Amino acid sequence: MRTLSGTKAISADLSKIVGSVNVEVRPAALVPYRTDATFGFAGLPTAVVRPGSAQEVSRILAWANQRSIPVVPRGAGSSLAAGAVPVQGGIVLALTRMNRILSIDPVDLIAVVEPGVTTQALAAAVREHGLHYPPDPGSKRVSTLGGNVATNAGGLHGLKYGNTGGYVLGLQAVLADGQIIRAGGRLLKDVAGYDLVHLLTGSEGTLAVLTELTLALRPAPAASGTGLAYFPDLESASKAVGGVIAAGILPATLEFLDARCIRAVEAHARLGLDTAAGALLLFGDDGSPDEVARTLRTMAGLMPDHGATSVQVATAAAESEALLAARRCALPALARSGGATILEDVGVPRSRLPDLVHRINTIAEAHEVTIATFGHAGDGNTHPTGCFDPADLAGRERVDAAFAEVFQAAIDLGGTITGEHGVGAAKLPYLSAQLGAAQTALQARIKKTFDPAGILNPGKVTR
Amino acid sequence: MTDVFDADDLGTCISCGFCLPSCPTYKLTGDESSSPRGRIALMRAVEGGEIDLFDPAALEQGSFCLGCRACEPVCPAGVPYGRLLEDLRDAQWKGRRRPMRIRPLLAFAARERLIRLVGRFRRHARFTTPETDTTLMLGCFERVLLPGVSRAAATTLPGVAIPLDQGCCGALHAHNGERALGEQMARRLADRPGRIISTAGGCSAHLAAVVGRDRVVDYSEALLEDGPLPGPILVDGRRARIGLQDSCHLRNGLGISEAPRRVISALGDYIEVPGAADCCGAAGTYSLLRRRDSRRVLAPKMAELSSLKLDFLVVVNPGCQRQLITEVRRARLRTRVLHLAELVEMAQRGPR
Ligand SMILES: Cc1cc2nc3c(=O)[nH]c(=O)nc-3n(C[C@H](O)[C@H](O)[C@H](O)COP(=O)(O)OP(=O)(O)OC[C@H]3O[C@@H](n4cnc5c(N)ncnc54)[C@H](O)[C@@H]3O)c2cc1C
Ligand code: SF4
Ligand code: SF4
Repeated sequence: MRTLSGTKAISADLSKIVGSVNVEVRPAALVPYRTDATFGFAGLPTAVVRPGSAQEVSRILAWANQRSIPVVPRGAGSSLAAGAVPVQGGIVLALTRMNRILSIDPVDLIAVVEPGVTTQALAAAVREHGLHYPPDPGSKRVSTLGGNVATNAGGLHGLKYGNTGGYVLGLQAVLADGQIIRAGGRLLKDVAGYDLVHLLTGSEGTLAVLTELTLALRPAPAASGTGLAYFPDLESASKAVGGVIAAGILPATLEFLDARCIRAVEAHARLGLDTAAGALLLFGDDGSPDEVARTLRTMAGLMPDHGATSVQVATAAAESEALLAARRCALPALARSGGATILEDVGVPRSRLPDLVHRINTIAEAHEVTIATFGHAGDGNTHPTGCFDPADLAGRERVDAAFAEVFQAAIDLGGTITGEHGVGAAKLPYLSAQLGAAQTALQARIKKTFDPAGILNPGKVTR
Repeated sequence: MTDVFDADDLGTCISCGFCLPSCPTYKLTGDESSSPRGRIALMRAVEGGEIDLFDPAALEQGSFCLGCRACEPVCPAGVPYGRLLEDLRDAQWKGRRRPMRIRPLLAFAARERLIRLVGRFRRHARFTTPETDTTLMLGCFERVLLPGVSRAAATTLPGVAIPLDQGCCGALHAHNGERALGEQMARRLADRPGRIISTAGGCSAHLAAVVGRDRVVDYSEALLEDGPLPGPILVDGRRARIGLQDSCHLRNGLGISEAPRRVISALGDYIEVPGAADCCGAAGTYSLLRRRDSRRVLAPKMAELSSLKLDFLVVVNPGCQRQLITEVRRARLRTRVLHLAELVEMAQRGPR
């Protein structure tokens, strides 16, 4: 397929559908589409094509299906599970041109968008209507809503607001053979047939291509606030999380960072964080001004009972936002020390969080690797991040071995190998350990039903 | 391996994509090839020998990039993109591959005596013998194309010396494929001790990168150090409405964005132009080399400007000044584009 004439024919066929400016086959121009944000995964696409409508997506899929050419849907390429990497080659279907917000309805509390709209763009647009789109992945500046729905992305406010899936009411999708379907709609209650909306949510581009999303909104909270507490170590910070919940509070934000993450984030954001602290817990809430003040006060008050060495509450909204923004860049900031990073997203029931943190530290020590941990402490979803020198192959192997044990530890604690990033190609080798044989086989049959020729994002989620 | 790039510089990028939404050329095209992350991936492929340095698509990206460095402050990993781009252009624009249209410019700026001659002919600020150890640097193109800026800078910073024997700082060269020469020129300019005040963001950032941040003072910083600013400028009896176009290198390279805003706030009603921090498309030689793209980059800003009805739009870099004077005139806006120094001079002169 990579012969010159083959490439030419592909380029000509695709150009007929989307116009030649939206097709690229020159190797140098394909380089950026070989990878996403995941370390160590790359593929070799034959072409990248940028459709502008569901009809064009439909014609591209029908064309590819007839020829059994893999198609890899791609939003912003911020996947951390190698979900957008064309591991088996084929066509990268870049959906960033489909970036219109089609409607925002303040009565039905609904937004209808094309998949290439960024999370941040929608959040900003609905705010102008006094509305709120709560899902808040750390990557929201860049990530697309198509990518968010395809991965059922979580984020910084998952404890109170849940993840993306909770906001998907309906969608338009193109099936592998090019048929266009609509599932769900503008209703809050709709039980007609199997729930395809939530089967396609989180399907990581392996069952269909999402071309339009109907998303639920909320009224914007009147106020929000954030505070931070320093702890001697991550374990005590994670115990404080349990303390907050036990006090009857379900706050919008409970994020923790260990010492290494604090130092990395401070080097970039320069907020004056205490770089000598062992761990940091960000806590925050939104709602009416009174409510926010009250929960912040309660949370700040109980932190010292769990060993917090110092507690501060941000007074200005800008200060709150700066704290959250700093937390969002924890992962890339860890690269400042000049190494490579592999980040995981294991999750456990909240009550087991201190156990998980303890196990991660023990495993890191045993394998002599550096693992920096941060994450969405409130919903039990953590991001242990292996930091290593990319040139040191043995070191890389030790990180992989350590993470294999971390996955098992999460499963043993009743948790998951991936709380929000998805399986992609990166987590596929570990999936059956969590799902068991019967469920793994059922997942493969579902895939086969949707995509008999296996063209949609092959090598991801299921074999 | 090509050895074009510094391995550590290339290695820092973890492909998180945080820089994508800040990049003007990505915003124009939605194509990751023309994004910072995409260009870094391409540089890696060049470094690894997979893609030829002179591959047409690689050459295209080397020239399509504005060099605005908007990707730098948003990068949590601290990737020095500006340096990587200089490396790329150094290699791609070598010798006979250097774009024809900019060769005379580079040659001109490297000739100290010639700049001085033409500049004097255009009546830029007079040279004065140094008495303090802080000196005002006269930008080479400013002296020739916008001599009024040099005069205004000298008038508004009376205590500062303007040495006779100054050349060009070499920013132009460093950004256009002649890094070694550009650095040599900067070092020569900074040969004499003391701090150097510059009225051009591009020069400030280049100088600081070569001779150290502590040696370089931007004109806006110098004004704030200098003490009280003149009173407000009135237009039709009301305080003037004044906006700012950031200089990319001043903001993204040196992190200076507050100082010029503070100065303007004293001189009138400061109005933040939406997207003031985004590149105006001038981007050094870019507006000469890629006129069409340069205007496409500017288009959204022109739309904002036409609805803001500013009295003055202030610039802090000669390239931006030239670009915006041309385009504001073409769009027939009633906004006057001038350099911060000219605005301060106007305020000092008082109402006319
Ligand atoms: C610094 C950083 C922080 C992050 N923080 C979070 C976080 O807090 N929470 C979280 O959940 N994730 C996080 N992520 C991971 C990532 O941003 C999310 O998975 C995000 O949802 C991906 O969106 P995208 O547009 O980049 O999709 P891509 O990476 O392009 O694609 C992701 C997957 O979705 C599929 N896909 C994309 N668009 C479509 C479509 N229209 N139809 C069908 N399939 C499609 C792709 O095939 C792929 O499998 C973070 C990533 C980074 C780099
Ligand atoms: S933000 Fe920095 S680390 Fe992230 S992709 Fe861009 S250059 Fe690379
Ligand atoms: S320098 Fe400017 S145009 Fe070039 S990659 Fe960075 S943000 Fe984009």
